[in-house]
Amino acid sequence: MTNPAAFEDVDVGDELPPFHLTLTPEQVKRYAEAANMPGGRFMSDELAKAEGLPGQIVPGNFSLALFSRLITDWNAAATVERLSATFRGLVHPGVPLIVSGVITEKHASDRGDFIECDLVVESDAGDRLVTGTATVQLRA
Amino acid sequence: MSLNLDKSLIGSEFDHTEFPPVTAEHIREYAAAAFETNPRHLTANDAELVAPPTYVVSLRGRHFMPGNLLTVLNLRRGFDAGKDIECGVPVRVGDVLTATSTVHDIYEKTGRSGSMVFVVLRTKITNQRGESAAVIDQKLMMR
Repeated sequence: MTNPAAFEDVDVGDELPPFHLTLTPEQVKRYAEAANMPGGRFMSDELAKAEGLPGQIVPGNFSLALFSRLITDWNAAATVERLSATFRGLVHPGVPLIVSGVITEKHASDRGDFIECDLVVESDAGDRLVTGTATVQLRA
Repeated sequence: MSLNLDKSLIGSEFDHTEFPPVTAEHIREYAAAAFETNPRHLTANDAELVAPPTYVVSLRGRHFMPGNLLTVLNLRRGFDAGKDIECGVPVRVGDVLTATSTVHDIYEKTGRSGSMVFVVLRTKITNQRGESAAVIDQKLMMR
């Protein structure tokens, strides 16, 4: 985690530092179990294929969680107010992923100081597998 | 070509579940499995521990969708197309959370591959004080 950035220190166009990861089948299974998602498609290739899928897939909720981590890694004092994701393609374990984001808007109100972000999980081949947005409250 | 969707299910409640009190063990287990790095989700003491924003997706009620949804819409299966979490008050150890799920919207979109039906299932999660902990919209694409 980096030192918290204050609202006045960030600008539209600033990037949230991306991180790279390649999920293992065991990590996907562990997340699915912790998230109470017992579907076979999240547990193993064998069970996923029995459901007609090409192999084990990463739950969409896991991608949302990676967006949350991206924000936390960038600014530990940030509070996520809203998080959205559109699942555009299947995410499989073993595929190198890049999670990144950019600030698209700043707005202040009586409720506090907020930024809007565009977020993406993409493969190292450049496929945008999950896109998203977040509304994040920053300290003044 | 319009599918003449039966939208009578919009607004109907299909699940209402009260969960056991939130434990520190489950918050930490979820946060670790989700690769969260913030100490307030992982190593803070129980009184200071706060669930990560996506923790609420682990609260699964008895019914994922209305039992008659596919029949009413004359469709075969659905795919998870997206999710939106509007966070409320922080979820802490000992909170007793209740989830109430309704069919929020049903609409049709036409793309290059033809018409698709989208169903939005809305789950409102409240704590023991009646405060909103989260509103989750799950978007299903159905064929």
